[in-house]
Amino acid sequence: MTSDTGLLAYLLIPLFTAVLLPFVARRRPGFSASLANVTLLAGLLNIGYALLNPASLAASFADIKEDGFSLLMIFLIYLVALAVTFFSAWYLEGRPNRAAYYSLILTSVSAMCGAVTTGDFFTLYIFVEALALTCAALITADDSAAGLEGALKYFLLTWPASLLILFGIAFLLLTAGTLSFENLKAIIASGRPAGAVVFAVSLILLGFLVKSGVVPFHAWLPDAYQGACAPVSAYLAAVVTNISGVYAVIRIAMLLRLFEIKSYHTSGLLMFAGMLSIMVGALAALRQKEFKRMLAFSSISQTGYIALAAGLGTPLAILGAVFHLVNHAVFNTVLFLNSAGLEKAAGAGDMRRLGGMEHAMPWTSWTSIIALMSAAGIPPLAGFWSKLIIILALWDGGAKVYAVPALLFSLVTLAYLLAMQKKIFFGKATEASAASREARPALLVPVAALSVLIIALGAFFPYVFSYLLETIAARILL
Amino acid sequence: MDIVTVLKTAVAAPIIGVFLIPIANKISVKARNACAVALGLVTFAACASLLSPMMKGLTATYSVDFPLGFDFVLSADLLSVFMAAIFSFVSVIILVYSLDYISRYENQTEYYAMIALFLGSMMGLVFSANLLWLYIFWEITAIAGWRLAGFFRSDRDVAKANKMLLVAVFGGLCMLIGILMIYSDKGTLDLRFLKGEIIPPAAAALLLAGIFAKSATLPFSAWLSDAAAAPAGVGALLAVVLVNAGVYAYARIFGAVFATPAGFSCLTLVPAGLSALVAAGAALIEKDIKRILAYSAVSQTGFIFLGLASGNKTAFIGGLLYILMHSMAAGALFLCAGIIEQKTHTRDIARLGGLFKTMPVTAAAFALASLSVMGIPPFGGFFSKFLVFKGAMQNANPLVLTLFFCGALLTFLYLARLFYLVFLGEEKVQNPKEGSALMLAGVLAPALIGLALGALIYYPCVYADLLAARLGVNLE
Repeated sequence: MTSDTGLLAYLLIPLFTAVLLPFVARRRPGFSASLANVTLLAGLLNIGYALLNPASLAASFADIKEDGFSLLMIFLIYLVALAVTFFSAWYLEGRPNRAAYYSLILTSVSAMCGAVTTGDFFTLYIFVEALALTCAALITADDSAAGLEGALKYFLLTWPASLLILFGIAFLLLTAGTLSFENLKAIIASGRPAGAVVFAVSLILLGFLVKSGVVPFHAWLPDAYQGACAPVSAYLAAVVTNISGVYAVIRIAMLLRLFEIKSYHTSGLLMFAGMLSIMVGALAALRQKEFKRMLAFSSISQTGYIALAAGLGTPLAILGAVFHLVNHAVFNTVLFLNSAGLEKAAGAGDMRRLGGMEHAMPWTSWTSIIALMSAAGIPPLAGFWSKLIIILALWDGGAKVYAVPALLFSLVTLAYLLAMQKKIFFGKATEASAASREARPALLVPVAALSVLIIALGAFFPYVFSYLLETIAARILL
Repeated sequence: MDIVTVLKTAVAAPIIGVFLIPIANKISVKARNACAVALGLVTFAACASLLSPMMKGLTATYSVDFPLGFDFVLSADLLSVFMAAIFSFVSVIILVYSLDYISRYENQTEYYAMIALFLGSMMGLVFSANLLWLYIFWEITAIAGWRLAGFFRSDRDVAKANKMLLVAVFGGLCMLIGILMIYSDKGTLDLRFLKGEIIPPAAAALLLAGIFAKSATLPFSAWLSDAAAAPAGVGALLAVVLVNAGVYAYARIFGAVFATPAGFSCLTLVPAGLSALVAAGAALIEKDIKRILAYSAVSQTGFIFLGLASGNKTAFIGGLLYILMHSMAAGALFLCAGIIEQKTHTRDIARLGGLFKTMPVTAAAFALASLSVMGIPPFGGFFSKFLVFKGAMQNANPLVLTLFFCGALLTFLYLARLFYLVFLGEEKVQNPKEGSALMLAGVLAPALIGLALGALIYYPCVYADLLAARLGVNLE
């Protein structure tokens, strides 16, 4: 098997299942969930095995010029998608059109795998657009009008981003004559005047910043998350936004670093936008009354850390950004799926109507404590290490002005997450929560597994760090 | 047994306990309680058995390599073993006391698991020889403290616990910035290689802010008096052990490793003196018995800083002894307050009175512990206070000393007032009862040990003297 087909399999197999699903599940609607889960589980085991055996990785994927970044992202995509489909299998039981729902999820998985494995901007753009389309359709899976509204908002508010990316690509083609990452690197290395290329890349970067919901382009994100039905919003928040926006931002930041002094302003602006996101997201989250909206603003704030680190662009910072991206995806999945479980159990997402849920739902309460501690960067959980690496990189990179507020804003993160925990899980039980019971064990499996992952990534930090160092940071040094 | 194994046991036993306790709870409540107390005892035994090898001059080190110089290093020396022994002893007393005290409330399993986590992270904190790991354990104690302070789940209690965690994490973040400064300045965080290095002034100030936030010194003192509303065992744990974690960090970082910049002693002593005086004043007018004791703990911690920061050997020894004596006495006082609250259902001293007749044993333990805190000979508290003042007179600024003298006078007043209002005077409470045997054991043991330490002051003195001679820096 050659290397290309090796990676293509992650893209093609879910697509194949997606096409197959509606036919297979026509007779037995329940079968579609199982098929989707099995497909994703097989992919996850496969990629997990490849990641854990770097030796076999090097042998079978010798042609991957870039780094382990793509493989790590594929792992993340499969992990979150599996958690979401597993959760949905019980959450959506009995709803109509389930086959279409799973088809869409599998299609989006393959679109994301395409986006992270490609080596040029145009293919990236195509896959990201395919992803946006499938996700807009997924948001409408919530039967109410809110779903349609959310889908329209998601699509209409992010299409200017697509336009910007398209303009950037056109401009890049005019000035540099190439769209592939490798060729761009060669052009930069040859020392030709890079001003126009920097401009084109900046335009593309701007487009992806809108897609990742960085302040001041964050307006679409809370509405879209709130409108979607609960597992879909977990899917959007944990992985779709990360892949369609943040992944590309990190990729471009790796390129920008090569321009050195010429891209100084672009990098500076990226860092500034990151810092702004951290602050605005955290402060806005403090004021939210609705669980999912609060989590949406929290995601904006966490994305800010990644953008801040990507803007700095040193190998350590990129490593921190990638690690934080992984952590962000994992704890966001836990928090959003817990919010879905809560909604199902108590019938309300409004924090003012909930209270004292810890007795009814102890597992949900403890897993969300673990996830929120990781989000707030409390040691020894995974989120602490990634934030620490980012802060350390900022400090070493001479950006002390950003390092100190970035650190102190994790206190605000802790404050709003504690307020959430207090309102929902502690305190006196309200009418809505008194009648509720713990979610089914099957719904708790993905959340519990991901919580264990949060602890494990923190506890085995040395291994995680050396892995990231070998597969990602070492390759950036060129 | 090999002392490195003993060291590993001291840290690992309570951490494993966090997972064992919920499992034991599935078997029976008794198994869980036995498991919790046994883990406390194992930890204490491990720490106590390290005392004598340390005096012989041995050291034990265990390390795991981490990238970026964040190695996980556990190292036992005179100072860490001294503190670990005190902390684990107080925790054992609290666990025994809790067996009965806590048996009436919900969330007991979480309570025991969190005490185990607290104890484990405390052991990690004192034995860590890497600043980053000191910080990590520092934050874990804050989390365990947060769950413990939020033991009662009313909105007010949860809000107080959240406030406490936010103060602690704020302090921790200040400390982390200081640690990063040291890291970028020296390139390592391993305390074994940093001995005698000069610390940048800004980093020193940030570390000090973190320490003050932990030790409830002004201007960060408010959380302790709020957290005192938690169960008595938690109050004692926070006021004695958590506060002393800050003191330990001071003794370790500024007393045993880094050379401090000029004028640093003053930067420590002024807030410490103010908090000794202001908290004593607050204790004099407060009506809630637990809050009085919390203020008392804040005030006494100021005296410990006076001893550690004065920069001379006598005062430093006094400061170390003060930690020991105050831990015993304050632990006993808090646990007595728990008995009183449980048997009379009030914490308001205006509504208490004449309890001496019905609760003689509690009253006796309270009196013994109060006398030790006041510093009356021959109690242990006398020697430590005497040494602190004797040493401080040689160096400290007269104004600062005046603050502390006034604080010491007020200590006498507020404790006498408290004892009079609660135990003497007319009986105001209907049918109060004496506490159960377990709870009385929990208050008598530390109170009597406080007296015994006074009689046998020679031994802790020798230990502290060795400690100051071998590890002390910045001492004349």
